[in-house]
Amino acid sequence: MSEMTKIVKTTANILFPFTMIFGLYVIAHGHLTPGGGFQGGAIVVSGCALLLVAYGSSWVFDRIKDKRLAAFESLGAIGFITIAFLGLMFSAVFFGNFLAGSGSLFGTTPATGSTLADFNTGGVLPLMNFAVGVKVIAGLFVIVLVMAYASSTKEWG
Amino acid sequence: MEKRIIAGALVLGIVAVFFLFSVLLIHPFGDPGQAQMDDYIITHTQNETGTQNGVTSVVFDYRGFDTLGEATILFSAVTGVLLIFRRVRH
Amino acid sequence: MGIEFLIINTLVILLLIIASIVTVLLRDLLAATVALAAMSLLLSLEFFLLQAPDVAIAQAGVGACLTTAIIIIAIRGTKRMEDE
Repeated sequence: MSEMTKIVKTTANILFPFTMIFGLYVIAHGHLTPGGGFQGGAIVVSGCALLLVAYGSSWVFDRIKDKRLAAFESLGAIGFITIAFLGLMFSAVFFGNFLAGSGSLFGTTPATGSTLADFNTGGVLPLMNFAVGVKVIAGLFVIVLVMAYASSTKEWG
Repeated sequence: MEKRIIAGALVLGIVAVFFLFSVLLIHPFGDPGQAQMDDYIITHTQNETGTQNGVTSVVFDYRGFDTLGEATILFSAVTGVLLIFRRVRH
Repeated sequence: MGIEFLIINTLVILLLIIASIVTVLLRDLLAATVALAAMSLLLSLEFFLLQAPDVAIAQAGVGACLTTAIIIIAIRGTKRMEDE
């Protein structure tokens, strides 16, 4: 895609930080509020797609390489599998929640019933949310970016 | 060519044996009924996973294999797109 | 559930059906894509009314934004108007 006019660029400049902050909020608070890794990652990628539409794909391609995004995607998958196998190692169940109730990182147990919980709860759920969020951001953005760049070159018409 | 056929048959046999054992060990159809499963998750999710969000605890803890399959789907989608569009030089 | 919920729910579903029919009937593919994005946003609102905020966020992010972007990229690679 080629770049667009100044009006679109200004609107994208204003909207981009709020979209990124909201997406990262949804990822980070995935164990407290509705949302999670996939939803927050989709919101962040929609902000990045706004930047892609406003500034053109070659502008984004000069700054972010697709190989690095693919490496981040694999890194998120490896982190997710590693946490699952750590559950197998420490609590004898695949995807076991070995950090819940241990009192260490993310180890506080909330009060039973419909009460408010603090951020330091959930066991391995925030870590898995973070891994899936990195994976979804890199994976969906590399799909959109590579397709936009390939459709703008002469070779693919 | 013969070696590849033998190796493929061997891998298929091993997978079939594992599937057979998992089918023999599976619950009867509809045994943990829906109401029982809902009651168990609503009652125990705060003590066992330590989180207030029941949906996230189901997605990442009780039913983690579903999320693993979703991650596999996304990975194969990214692999396919990068394979198709790789001949674009930049 | 009160009468307000029933009215809003019926209105959203009617708008959903209208947006779907407009998406099918339009000849201009870019306008059809915009109608599809509107249909996806209305579907996200319907999910939120049915008390499934997780699905609503996923639908609004993937269905209304990313699918629209990918379809617009595909339209730029081909033709804009649909043949008879």
